Amino acid sequence: MSLAHETLASLRRRLVAKEIHPRDIIKDLLAQIDAREKTVHAFTHLDGQAALATAEKADLSLPLGGLPIALKDNLNALGDPCTCSSKILEGYRAPYDATAVARLRQAGALFLGRTNMDEFAMGSSTENSALGVTRNPWDSTRIPGGSSGGSAAAVAGRLAIAALGSDTGGSIRQPAALCGCVGLKPTYGRISRYGLVAFASSLDQIGPLTRTVEDSALLLSALAGHDPRDNTTDLRKPETFLAKPTGSVKGLRIGLPKEYFLPGMNAETEASIRSAASWFEKNGATLVEVSLPHTPAAIAVYYILATAEASANLARFDGVRYGRRAVDPKDLLDLYQRTRSEGFGPEVKRRIILGTFVLSQGYSDAFYRKAQKVRGLLRQDFESAFTKCDLLLTPTSPEPAFPLGERTQDPLKMYLADVFTISTNLAGNGAISLPCGFTKSNLPIGLQLIGPRFGEETMLGAAHAFEQAHDFWKRMPPV
Amino acid sequence: MSVPKLNVADVAGLARLSLTPDETTKFSSQLSQILAHMETLGQIGTGDVPEVVPPAQPALRKDIPTPSLTVEAALSNAPAQSNDLILVPKIVE
Amino acid sequence: MSSSGNWEAVIGLEVHVQLRTQTKMFCGCINQYGGAPNSQVCPVCLGMPGSLPAPNEEAIRRTILTGLMFGCRIANVARFDRKNYFYPDMPKNYQISQFDDPLCAGGAVGLDPFLFPKDLQETDEAKAKRSIRLTRIHLEEDVAKSFHYEERSGIDFNRAGTPLMEIVSEADLRTAGEAFAFLGSLRQVLLSGNVSDADMEKGQMRCDVNVSVRPVGQKEFGTKVELKNLNSISGVRRALVYEIARQIAAVEKGEAIQHETRRWDDEAGATFTMRTKEKAHDYRYFPEPDLLPVRTDQGLRAAAESGLPELPAALQDRLMRENGVTAYQASVLAADRILCTYYEKAALGTQHKAVVANWILNDFLATQPEPASSPVRPEFFGELADLVAGGTINSAQAKKVFAELMANPSSPKALVEKLGLAQISDASALGVYCDEAIAANPRSVEDYRAGKGNAINALKGFVMKKSQGKANPAQVDEILKAKLSA
Ligand SMILES: [Mg+2]
Ligand SMILES: [Zn+2]
Repeated sequence: MSLAHETLASLRRRLVAKEIHPRDIIKDLLAQIDAREKTVHAFTHLDGQAALATAEKADLSLPLGGLPIALKDNLNALGDPCTCSSKILEGYRAPYDATAVARLRQAGALFLGRTNMDEFAMGSSTENSALGVTRNPWDSTRIPGGSSGGSAAAVAGRLAIAALGSDTGGSIRQPAALCGCVGLKPTYGRISRYGLVAFASSLDQIGPLTRTVEDSALLLSALAGHDPRDNTTDLRKPETFLAKPTGSVKGLRIGLPKEYFLPGMNAETEASIRSAASWFEKNGATLVEVSLPHTPAAIAVYYILATAEASANLARFDGVRYGRRAVDPKDLLDLYQRTRSEGFGPEVKRRIILGTFVLSQGYSDAFYRKAQKVRGLLRQDFESAFTKCDLLLTPTSPEPAFPLGERTQDPLKMYLADVFTISTNLAGNGAISLPCGFTKSNLPIGLQLIGPRFGEETMLGAAHAFEQAHDFWKRMPPV
Repeated sequence: MSVPKLNVADVAGLARLSLTPDETTKFSSQLSQILAHMETLGQIGTGDVPEVVPPAQPALRKDIPTPSLTVEAALSNAPAQSNDLILVPKIVE
Repeated sequence: MSSSGNWEAVIGLEVHVQLRTQTKMFCGCINQYGGAPNSQVCPVCLGMPGSLPAPNEEAIRRTILTGLMFGCRIANVARFDRKNYFYPDMPKNYQISQFDDPLCAGGAVGLDPFLFPKDLQETDEAKAKRSIRLTRIHLEEDVAKSFHYEERSGIDFNRAGTPLMEIVSEADLRTAGEAFAFLGSLRQVLLSGNVSDADMEKGQMRCDVNVSVRPVGQKEFGTKVELKNLNSISGVRRALVYEIARQIAAVEKGEAIQHETRRWDDEAGATFTMRTKEKAHDYRYFPEPDLLPVRTDQGLRAAAESGLPELPAALQDRLMRENGVTAYQASVLAADRILCTYYEKAALGTQHKAVVANWILNDFLATQPEPASSPVRPEFFGELADLVAGGTINSAQAKKVFAELMANPSSPKALVEKLGLAQISDASALGVYCDEAIAANPRSVEDYRAGKGNAINALKGFVMKKSQGKANPAQVDEILKAKLSA
């Protein structure tokens, strides 16, 4: 069997046992990519020769020695492109390593492939990419989710063993759910954002997309910890997450937030989630109903704060120091306006305008400041829920993958796809999505477990127990 | 709170975007719809809610120099340069 | 200063001060003037995609120290904000600054009478010792430097991201002379805390001025004009003198003052319209999400407090009280911390501290304007003063020793010997000279005895000549008188 089907943990065991060489993994992945990338289009950039060359020098004594990881195309890796799937970063080559990238390098990992995304991580379908759409490996007429759609599709489609993504409002978990892999959004401050091209600074977190919870823990251990270059990283001393999270759920109190189970929700999704909940109950956990009363406000709060921050974060793309510059600008204003108007796609422009508006004079009190306050309430919701339970269990996405093109003209409807994931970004909590079933038409369904802040240990343990008791993660997509 | 009148072209100007008439029309209607949704926040009482969470003591950087980029690396992405300066159309105040 | 007694000016200043630190505000690039273009830059200060700011603790400490020196309230929790506008010298197209919660609020700058322009130091406005309130002091990052060519501009980002303090005054200033004294007094305090070199000519201190005029007695402000391109403290004064007169002339003619920014042209000696303010900037300030709020109450404030220097006003007081220097000398010393340290070292070992001040401020500075690098050790001045006071040399000899000290610095005692200058204070040796003088000048002796006191001078002159100027004049006087009245 191709090594492309294995996990980081199993490959690691075989590498250490000298059964295989790192180059074998790269070769098998390249063969898979040859066969399937045309359909899936998970990558924006691939350099197989470079990966093979580094594979020859891999240091197997390191914790991730010789293991290939794909990077979302918004993470800077020295000398490589970093397009954020935008025309405006055409030709840009990163002059430095993101901290996450540097930590993986130090742990011995190799990099193969930069993955497609919604432009500047703005979207939930990877259709907002200037470099082409990515297709869901389970059904190529459907979206893979987004914005880390390329990472999810690559991991699910056996084009990568594991990948990094970034999650601002669900951008790791939602595509993981829709592609049937494991996606972890750590607690805000757990992993350094230095070198991750910012969408919304107070919400962004880097996290792994993997086939198993064990792999997720392995990557988290390498990535987590304070970074002096990121002032928002937590100061607690580095933790090693169990390579194999301990597996019992006995005695856990699992909270079901009533606002996440609404009449009219997708029936197959609801059935899968309910049955996952009963599995936890049958295995010794207690289920408690909790309330996160400000959930209905989350989308509005999110789209105000995220776009406000983005409007400033994306101001630096102006054609002066890097990236695309408009040809023959007649003056400075023309340089700015044409560079940005030609370089950004419609969703990015829409969000920049929205974010500029909610910060503008006369409106910032009603929008930006109001949203900050409601964000405080949402945070309090989570804090009080976690006095009654150890983990929250919810669907990751209100429905399975939808068809390509269905929502591109209706941004508000697209925004509602994030309804179950964005609150955790606003509150700063960590959450994980893992497969918990399939629809009749064979589309994956994702289960979300949300932990208290810095409660990854419990979350990973419970997720691992559930995963290992089922075989959803072993299923192969048809594409 | 009533739905504010959003002048898309003005706001785009602040953000240094120039929109086609088509984009302006489309964004106007899409953004008014989104803003109407956001208006619902007005109904939530936030009288005594603090705007930010209490701060943690952040780690501050010690005042010790670290290496800069080489001039070559610093300018390697610049679309236009001369004599190690990055060029732009003339700045007029 | 107003050209007409019926008008008064209302002036507020915004002063940007470059902080002296090893590194930039948010990255580890060195904070140093004069490097090759774009050689002191990194992903952070170039605003590269994905880079993040890491705040410089020392810059924050120095800003707090500045606030303490001016009596500001120090925020327990301060925040950074983003100020949004597009400009090619600003890498991120927003400036990390402080808006709602600056590090320092309130406070005041006392106007030192001796820091008014020389020609105004005897006026009432200088002697009033007014105190000018500060609105706030906040910390932000500087922008890059641009060079302008025919069709294009070139940008050097070395200065981008260096730490900059913005000090904003209330509109308390009323005259150009006060603005001059404000900047001088501000600078004096900044130097004493060693937070900045604050040299306007080098761009380390940059000043924007807001000025309006109104009839004396009116409460409301007139329409204000902003002045830019002020490159020296005296330039600020000249620009204000011009601008205030211009505004008064205009309103007296019944013209309305435009709300605008004007540029001071130092050569032309006039201000010119730069841009009219048709629309206020919308900077869309919001809290910088890449930075957590800064707590000053867990060590930072205490660290700043421990670095508090003796402030110029207190120092002047002490120098006058303990060392007996004049108010003017005290002000000169307080204005130059290096000179003052040198002086205090010089005065340390002697009782004759005022004499040392005279030596240093009058004679020494004239030949060696950089005391820090002078080969003349400060203790030499104390030694010199003691030699004069103790009668080893007289003041004429002291001048010779001083000249030698400047040329070949070494201990004045050694120089006295080297020059063969030691005063003769030995009573028997002097007695011989005095006897000779009496014998050689019978006429003067007669005159003196007849009651002409001045006649003794001729005798003294004889002794000085005989002794080649080495005789101790006070002692000679005593001995002669004793001998003549015997
Ligand atoms: Mg400023
Ligand atoms: Zn730098």
